[in-house]
Amino acid sequence: MSIILSIIKRNIKMFFKDKGLLFTSLITPMILLVLYATFLGNLYEDSFKQILDAIAPGLKVEDSLINGCVGGQLFSSLLAVCTVTVTFCSNMLMVQDKVNGSISDLTITPVKGSALAFGYYIATFITTLIICLLATVACLIYIAYIGWYITVSDILLILLDVFILVMFGTALSSIINYFLSSQGQISAVGSIVSSGYGFICGAYMPISQFSEGLQNFVSFLPGTYGTSLLRNHSLNGVFAEMENLGIPEKAIEGVKDSIDCNIYFFDEKVPISTMYVYLAGATVVLAAVYILMNLKKRKIKR
Amino acid sequence: MKNIIEITNLNKAFKDVKAVQNLSFKVKEGELFAFLGLNGAGKSTTISIICGQLAKDSGTVIIDGFDIDKGVEGIKSELGVVFQNSVLDKPLTVKENLENRAALYGINGNNFKTRLSELSELLDLKDILNRPVGKLSGGQRRRADIARALLHNPKILILDEPTTGLDPQTRHTLWDVISTLRKETGMTVFLTTHYMEEAADADYIVILDSGKISAEGTPLELKNNFSVDYITLYGSTAEQVQTLGYEFETIKDAFRIAIPSTAVATELIVNNPQIFKDYEITKGKMDDVFLAVTGKSLSANGGAEK
Repeated sequence: MSIILSIIKRNIKMFFKDKGLLFTSLITPMILLVLYATFLGNLYEDSFKQILDAIAPGLKVEDSLINGCVGGQLFSSLLAVCTVTVTFCSNMLMVQDKVNGSISDLTITPVKGSALAFGYYIATFITTLIICLLATVACLIYIAYIGWYITVSDILLILLDVFILVMFGTALSSIINYFLSSQGQISAVGSIVSSGYGFICGAYMPISQFSEGLQNFVSFLPGTYGTSLLRNHSLNGVFAEMENLGIPEKAIEGVKDSIDCNIYFFDEKVPISTMYVYLAGATVVLAAVYILMNLKKRKIKR
Repeated sequence: MKNIIEITNLNKAFKDVKAVQNLSFKVKEGELFAFLGLNGAGKSTTISIICGQLAKDSGTVIIDGFDIDKGVEGIKSELGVVFQNSVLDKPLTVKENLENRAALYGINGNNFKTRLSELSELLDLKDILNRPVGKLSGGQRRRADIARALLHNPKILILDEPTTGLDPQTRHTLWDVISTLRKETGMTVFLTTHYMEEAADADYIVILDSGKISAEGTPLELKNNFSVDYITLYGSTAEQVQTLGYEFETIKDAFRIAIPSTAVATELIVNNPQIFKDYEITKGKMDDVFLAVTGKSLSANGGAEK
């Protein structure tokens, strides 16, 4: 056990001391923040106001409610992206060790390959969780400043969502990074994930605005439900306040549809519980695949 | 003395490239064994197989009585490896690196502190322990690499071109350390190198060319079998040297005569005392041996020179 702890400690230290890895992992959230600061924030705000005008003309709502809604979208988008893209960057240590030969220095020891693989997995999970929890705290402070509508139970559910999504991202990145072995591949996968994941998970742009074909495609991806869970739990309070203001439920559902709180699988609305089951199930399957890959590798080596 | 490494009929190919072909040799416990060859001769492939990092195609490899076919876990604690390039974690300090690697051998807490103190003394690490590996000079990094390889007191120290790229002073320091270790612990050292003078200090040398053994023996045996002796003659004239009947070259203030053996040199000297007033006899060098055996000479970076 102390050996595995030592591997995990080494990997976590490597991630936080390697400025390149740390910086790369923060690129996607930074892109999102820049997009938000430059135009997404205003876009979300205008869009929310237009929807409110359309469903309840003449209704006066406080700025804090609008800000709470926009902030909740940013909050959920940021976490949805961070939980997955940071795992890829953190797990790049596995590939870097192959590229610079450090893996030889680790496999020359009596430590089993499975322990090394487990060490990368857990270290990736912990480093990503640390970054995501810091991001959560930062976002909560920001939301408290602009318009707080989040309940304690929502915060706990957000933490649960983050936990499951980080597990999912860790398993997914472990499988993909397992096949990488060069600096070029690191750069390619890093770029694709950093730039692409924000779009397909609906962080940069609501999935509801995608074409129907694309919406059907992303409805198969577990990450989509992760974003939706986060969005629901960060905006529950806003919707409750809208209900208190007397806005009809149908209108609120319309808002939920437009910002991906409701996700449809071929016209069938997916309940929150199903989202959890799908996301957790996908995580378990991916983790099992990773374990099998390592077992198979061990057999081939023998 | 027992054999600590026994390799028999080892073969390894990478697709069409036969990296190691029917390789057989033995390394005795406590000896300094040198593996000599150009880049691509099969040295690193052999080392990777010995260390259990690469599967062999056929043959047997026995390390300290353990057959690696029956599992490499048993031999890993017996081996310490200094790789061609430093493989320590550059963002971490020397101490953090050593602490982490020691833990992988089950060396923790006070045991680690004691071992760190010993190695720090031996390799003069005190000033660099808290510096990141990435910010060390080549020589300092090499000292850290050697400390890492010695953490668990291995029986066999494998040095894969350990001094390539180091300045002469650092090379000298490293060899002093290795020499001290061998004297004090009786550790077996398995060396691959491009530097002929390092190989010349070995107890036994295997010369590898294109995955096959071209020659093997002690440095003396190799020099006797594959190179000539030289007499450097001072204070004589070219006419006098010509009468000896051997090819010679003129060097500054002297003539250099190539002769087949030391016995022939002795005979020449005894028969021509009027010519041999001031002279010295030297054995051929390992460079000559390598050239004679492989038909190639080694460049500084391990490549072939015509």
